[in-house]
Amino acid sequence: MKNLTLRHLSKTYFDPYAGAHVTAVQDVSLEVKQGEFVSIVGRSGCGKTTLLNMIAGFIPVTGGEILLDGRAIDGPGPDRGVVFQSFALFPWKTVLQNVAFGPRMRGLPDAECERIAREYLALVGLAEVAGRYPAELSGGMQQRVGVVRALANDPDVLLMDEPFASVDAQTRMTLQEELTRIWLERRPTIVFVTHDVEEAVFLANRVVVLSKGRVLKELDVPLARPRTWDRLIENTQFKALSAEVLQRVRAE
Amino acid sequence: MRLILIAWSRYVRSPALRSFAPFIPLILLWAIVAESGMFPRAFFPGPAEVVNSFGSLVYKGILPEYLEDSVVRLALGAAAGLALGIPLGVLVGLSSRAHAMLWPVLLFFQAIGDIAWLPILLIWFGFGLTTVTFVIVYTVLFPVVLNTVLGVRSVPIVMHRAAQSLGASRLRIVWEVVLPGALPNIITGVRNGLGYGWRALIAAEMIVGTSGIGFLMFDARRAGSVVEILLGMIVLGLLWYVVDDWALVPIERATVQRWGLVTR
Repeated sequence: MKNLTLRHLSKTYFDPYAGAHVTAVQDVSLEVKQGEFVSIVGRSGCGKTTLLNMIAGFIPVTGGEILLDGRAIDGPGPDRGVVFQSFALFPWKTVLQNVAFGPRMRGLPDAECERIAREYLALVGLAEVAGRYPAELSGGMQQRVGVVRALANDPDVLLMDEPFASVDAQTRMTLQEELTRIWLERRPTIVFVTHDVEEAVFLANRVVVLSKGRVLKELDVPLARPRTWDRLIENTQFKALSAEVLQRVRAE
Repeated sequence: MRLILIAWSRYVRSPALRSFAPFIPLILLWAIVAESGMFPRAFFPGPAEVVNSFGSLVYKGILPEYLEDSVVRLALGAAAGLALGIPLGVLVGLSSRAHAMLWPVLLFFQAIGDIAWLPILLIWFGFGLTTVTFVIVYTVLFPVVLNTVLGVRSVPIVMHRAAQSLGASRLRIVWEVVLPGALPNIITGVRNGLGYGWRALIAAEMIVGTSGIGFLMFDARRAGSVVEILLGMIVLGLLWYVVDDWALVPIERATVQRWGLVTR
């Protein structure tokens, strides 16, 4: 089982403007099992993005450890796919080349890379735009590419940093439904960071509320799948869970 | 006045004429002043004389030969300048250690203009091709390096992170992320570098040269041939236009504009 384990993780850094050390993440321990979908939710500044960046290996930890499949992580690597809020697609590569990038870096033959990329593009209905450049796509389409680019590399865990925060509300709902569908089909392990309480509950098996760098609460989400907004928007269990999470997020 | 402007805009719409049209009033004015006899003809020849001189210099083979000399010198110098400048710019842009070591030196030497090197180059290398080449490479190098550094540093950190978490090695990131991301600035650097290089070349040819457009113009001065000086000036302008419009603009259109990195 390729589980992701955070043990007493903390991060302090020096803020040159405040002239003092700031604690962004404090003693966070968390276990994400293979195939699990975990949302980390909290208001801005609660340390959730810092936490994700540490798991991705983009920034060093100052305390504790991160284990993936029992091994300590060391810097960024293809075992942890990342989907960014700003999409971070390569503008100089076509949609197909973007999605084929990971497999190509693994040294797979060109034909195999293209086959994988086309398969994943079809998964999100983007087979038609394979030859276009990212700038020619809408925000929603760009982030679909962002998601399948990370998935196409077959990572052990998919890290998503507020990936739907910069698309319009309707597109966001569609993307959320698509993501739950993909998760059902392929069962990737996902750590999803968001400030949107309903998004966190809608997507995940488990919601972790982060506040001031600490885990405030962990809640299981036993809602049935497949989940769609049509079904859940008036669902009392969904509403009760969302209300509970919201209460925790708002509590200081 | 309005009518003239309307007629003008209609006339300019033809794509073949679009580039040439803005020059027609200038040429007309030039012809009128020359014809008016305001200045002695030998000091201020008209367009017709320049065209005649163009014909005869082409016929004698002097103009094509000198033009080729200048263009080849520029091309070689520019190629060397790019081959040195882009890797150096990437290094300085990516490594903070290289930046700390080299940036002050780059700024220092950038300030010593190309022509300011001529006195010492003439002592070291004499009146020859080495001196001319040195000046061009030197002139092309700095705009390319400085703009490449700027471009490399303007590639957002998420691009690096995205490539890293997709398993790209440092070298692959340089090749597949840093260089294309820096391309808008690199093209600006190349454009500035070639522009400065072209000017420096003409200046160097005037002082050092035994051939080339700069030499042609300076040689014409000795012979008192204003016609040939004017012809040289026109060739300089035309050639730059051709380089920009036929080489640089198509490259930009096919890359950075297509990618949405710069908007038109």
